[in-house]
Amino acid sequence: MSAFRLSRVALRARPTKFQNALQRRGYAEAISDKIKLSLALPHQTIYKSTDVVQVNIPAESGDMGILANHVPSIEQLKPGLIEIIEESGGSKQFFLSGGFAVVQPDSKLSINAVEGYALEDFSDEAVKSQISEASKIAGGSGSEQDIAEAKIELEVLESLQAAMK
Amino acid sequence: MAFAWKAAGLTYNRYLAVAARVVRRSLKEDKRLQAERRGEMDLRFAKWENGKQGENKSLGEANASAMADAAGQEAK
Repeated sequence: MSAFRLSRVALRARPTKFQNALQRRGYAEAISDKIKLSLALPHQTIYKSTDVVQVNIPAESGDMGILANHVPSIEQLKPGLIEIIEESGGSKQFFLSGGFAVVQPDSKLSINAVEGYALEDFSDEAVKSQISEASKIAGGSGSEQDIAEAKIELEVLESLQAAMK
Repeated sequence: MAFAWKAAGLTYNRYLAVAARVVRRSLKEDKRLQAERRGEMDLRFAKWENGKQGENKSLGEANASAMADAAGQEAK
């Protein structure tokens, strides 16, 4: 009689145990699909460990999009536009003058640049007049260093002009 | 060589400074005036020899000529 009661108890106990197993968190839920972005300039912090969905960067090795759980890497940035897709689904764009992006192993991305501004902060005329000035120097008979600097300026300005269109 | 500016003796630091300067100059008037102050640098140095102060030189100009020398050395 007592053995029969014991088996009844066991029968009743089983379904609750099974439910517990279903409620246990699996690997897929435990991992966040967001990447923590820090975007810092020497004089300003634009993002400080903020969760974002994706960041598109213009690396020297080619344009790339970085999502969560990206393989750790260090990328030198070209002067160009970075695009940040935020949690809300909106995206923000900044023009960076060049720097480095470091993807850390735990879904963290640190971007360091010297100057970074939103596209609406740039003036069309200033870019155009600088392009003509820099091309004059680049094609002129200045010192090797002056020509090299003018070519750097041209690279930045042309990237900026393309981004503004 | 991967970068043209390296062949001219320019350092990466100089490359970044030039790129940042041109970005600052491309800004709209109000932001530009604020930003351009960040690009200013006026450091001077003098070498002391035998207890006497040498010539007072600008660090920026000394760096520029050092980069030109470096490019000349590499070409030889």
